Amino acid sequence: MRKVILLAVVCVSLEGCANLGVEPWEREVLAREDMQLDANALDTAFDDHIYFSKEGTSGGRGFGGGGCGCN
Amino acid sequence: MAGAASAAAAAGVTDMADKDVKIGAALAAATCSLLGTAAPGVSVAADAEPQWDIESAFLYYGESDDRVKDLSLSAHATRDFGDERTLGLDLSVDSLTGASPSGAIATDGVQTFTSPSGRKTYSTPAGEIPLDESFLDTRFALNGSWSQPLARLYRVSAGLGFSSEYDYQHIGANFGLTRDFNQRNTTLSAALAYGQDTVKPVGGLPLPLTQMGDAVDDAMSPANRGDSNDTKDVLDVLLGVTQVLGRHTVLRVNLSYSDSSGYLTDPYKLLSVVDPVTGDLIGRTPATGASGPTGVYLYESRPDSRRKEGLYAEMRHDFSGKVLQVGYRYSTDDWEVDSHTLESRLRLPFGSSSYLEPHVRYYQQTAASFYRYSLANVTPLPDFASADARLSEMDALTFGLKYGHVTAGGNEWNARLEFYRQTAKAPNDVLIGNQIGNTQMPDFDAVILQFGYHFKL
Amino acid sequence: MGGPCEVLAEVADETEARKITDAVAACAWRVENKFSRYRADNIVARINAAAGSSVEVDSETADLLDFAALVHRLSDGLFDITSGVLRKAWTFDGGRRLPAQSEIDALLPFVGWSKVHWLRPMITLPPGMQIDFGGIGKEYAVDQAIQLVAQMSSAALLVNFGGDLAVTRSRDGNRAWRVGIEGIDAAVQRAAMLVDLTAGALSTSGDTYRYVESEGRRLSHILDPRTGWPVSGAPRSVTVAAPTCTNAGMLTTLAMLRGPKAEAFLESEGVRHWVQRST
Repeated sequence: MRKVILLAVVCVSLEGCANLGVEPWEREVLAREDMQLDANALDTAFDDHIYFSKEGTSGGRGFGGGGCGCN
Repeated sequence: MAGAASAAAAAGVTDMADKDVKIGAALAAATCSLLGTAAPGVSVAADAEPQWDIESAFLYYGESDDRVKDLSLSAHATRDFGDERTLGLDLSVDSLTGASPSGAIATDGVQTFTSPSGRKTYSTPAGEIPLDESFLDTRFALNGSWSQPLARLYRVSAGLGFSSEYDYQHIGANFGLTRDFNQRNTTLSAALAYGQDTVKPVGGLPLPLTQMGDAVDDAMSPANRGDSNDTKDVLDVLLGVTQVLGRHTVLRVNLSYSDSSGYLTDPYKLLSVVDPVTGDLIGRTPATGASGPTGVYLYESRPDSRRKEGLYAEMRHDFSGKVLQVGYRYSTDDWEVDSHTLESRLRLPFGSSSYLEPHVRYYQQTAASFYRYSLANVTPLPDFASADARLSEMDALTFGLKYGHVTAGGNEWNARLEFYRQTAKAPNDVLIGNQIGNTQMPDFDAVILQFGYHFKL
Repeated sequence: MGGPCEVLAEVADETEARKITDAVAACAWRVENKFSRYRADNIVARINAAAGSSVEVDSETADLLDFAALVHRLSDGLFDITSGVLRKAWTFDGGRRLPAQSEIDALLPFVGWSKVHWLRPMITLPPGMQIDFGGIGKEYAVDQAIQLVAQMSSAALLVNFGGDLAVTRSRDGNRAWRVGIEGIDAAVQRAAMLVDLTAGALSTSGDTYRYVESEGRRLSHILDPRTGWPVSGAPRSVTVAAPTCTNAGMLTTLAMLRGPKAEAFLESEGVRHWVQRST
C-alpha cells in the first residue's frame, strides 16, 4: 500500500502547480473527441471484460460494467 | 384609439397574409442573380444537434486450441438532455462457448474427470492440459447511468448495473462526484460502487479442497457438494484527478481500492494431487460399476476476502492532429497478486476522414500466495490453494490495429483486429520432482476482431 | 453591422489566417460604409437627400434595388425598404411608450416602394421618403465575404456577422460547424439550440433586445409597412437555413412579418427553420 501511495504522490506532484493549465479559449484541441479520456469507451469496455476473465487483476480505470462468473 | 386602429389594421393584414403563395424558388433565383452566382441547387445542410449518440459493435474473440470463443454484441448510447445532463445506457449480449483449463495438470496418461453436474465423465488425452467440459453460455448485461451538474463546479453521477448468465448474476450501483478547480483545468473525482454477485454453479458449490468423486445418477446429489449457491459482495472506491497539462495534453491519475468478500472461489477449478517426491499424479480407481476420476483431484479453495489497491495513470497528447495515449496501471492485493499494465494507442488520421490506430499492451502479474501448480499429497492441506492459471505468474502481450472512417454524414465505421498472447510461468519453487523441466502451462493466443458503427440520432 | 463580426478559419498557417481575416474585414467595412444609413457620404445618403431629384446609382446598388423591388413584389408589400421613416414614431428600447395613431398616420404617406420611381440606373424618391438597406445589408455582406474567401482558400471557413452566417464547406474530417442559436431569454447565456451546419447559411431575426411592451405583451420591432404597427403575433425569434445568407435573411424577415403564420410560411417554403415563441 505504501508503494501505491508513493507512486500516486509522485504522479500528483508532477501536476501540482496551480498555474498549470490553459485559458478557456485555448481548449480547441482538448475539446476534440479523440482527446477525451473516455474516447474508445466501447473498445476499452470489451477489452476490460476480456482481460478481467483472463487475467488476475481488473479495474482501476473507472466504473460501469458488471461482473461475470469468471474471476 | 390606438387599440381600435391597430385591430382594424391587423384585420387588414390577416387578409393579405392568407395568400400562401410559395416564393421560395423565386426568392432563391433573385438572390442568385443578386450575388452573381449560378443556381446552387440544394447546397444547404443544417440540422439540429442530434441528441442520441450511439456506439454499437460486434466482437469476436477466439482462443487457440479450440478453447474459449465469444461472440458479443454491444451498444453504448448517450442522450443529452441539455444543461449538461446526460443519460448513458449500455446493453450487451455475449455468447460464450468452449472450454478453459480446469487447473489439473497434463500427465503421460489419459485422465478422466467427473463433469460439473456430477452426472457424467469426460476425458483428456495423454499429454494434454485438461480443459473443463465445453459449455455454452449466454450473458446479458445492462447498465444505466445519469450524470448532471450539481452546482457550478460540481457534477454528480449515479448508475445501476445488472448482468445475468445461467450460473451467475450481478447487480450493482455506483455513485460519483466531481469538482472542477483552476478554471476547469483540474478536476477531482470520487466514486463509490457496490455490487453483489450470486454464483449458482451446475451441481452446486463444491466443498473446498474435497475430492472429486465418481459420477452419480440423477437421483442422488454429486459427492462433496455443499450449498446450491452463494454470494459475493464487492465494494470499490475510486479517487481521481484529471489535469490539463497544456493545450495539447491531459493527464488522469486514479487511486482505487476494492474489497471483495464472500464466495470468491471458482467452483469449476481443480488441483491435481501428486506424489510429494516424484510429482506424478496420484492414481485412483472409481468404485465398482461406477465411472469417475482416474486421479486424485481436489476442488480449489480461495480466501473469502480480497483487498486490492491500484494506481492508474493515463495521458493523452496531441501533436499535429495525431493523438498518443499512454496508460499505466499498478495493482497489488492481499492475495499477493501484483500486476503492472502498460498500454498505448496512437491515433493517426489520414485522408480527410479516416484514421489508423495501432495499439499495444503489456501485462505482467505475480502469482497469488496460494497458487499451486499441483498439490503434494501431504497433510495438513493448505487452507487455500488454486491451480487456476489466471492466478499464476504470467505476462501477456497485445498487438492491435484499428481503422476508422467518418462518413459524409458524420458517422463512423470502424474495425479492430488484435492479437493476444498470454504466457504463464511456474517457477521451480512451485514444482515437484519430475515436474521440473516438464511443465505445461495453459498458455494461449487469442484473436479479437471487432466491427463498430458510431452514429447520432 | 450591428454586432460583432468574425470569421472562423480551419487553417494551420497564421499568415493565411490573417490574409483571410483582413479580406473579410475589408469586405464588411466596404459594404457597411457604402450602404449604411448612418453615413452622410455614401450612395444611400445621396439618394435620401435628393429631395425629389433623380440619382444615378452604380451597378451594385442597382442590383440591390432590383432585389428589393422583387422581394417587395413577391411578399405582397410586406418587405419594403422605404419603411425606415416609421422609426420616427417607434423607439424599441424596451419601454412602454406607444406612439399615437396620428403620429403613424403622419408618416404613412412617406412609406411605400410603389411610390418610388426606379428605372435602372436612375432612382427618384418623392420628397420625405427614405430608403434603408438595413434589412438586406448584413446578409448581403456575409455572402460577399464568403464568395471572396472561398476563392482565396480551400480551407473550411465560417463568416459570422452578428448572427448571420455562412460556411464554405464542412469542417475537416466531415465534421459540422456547431452553431448556437441564442435563446429568447436574454438572462440565459447558453444557446437555446445547437445546429450542425455543413453547407449554406443561417440567418436569425429576433426581438431579444429590441422591443416595446404594450399591455404586458412584447411587441416585435418588425413593423408592417402597410399599417405602421408592429406585426402582431410575431415569433420572438426565427432562424432559417438556406443556400445563401441573403436568401436566409429574407425568409426570416418574411416569416416574422407573417406573425402567427410564421411557421406555416416556412413549412410551405420547405426550408429548415427554428422558431421560438413566448410560452
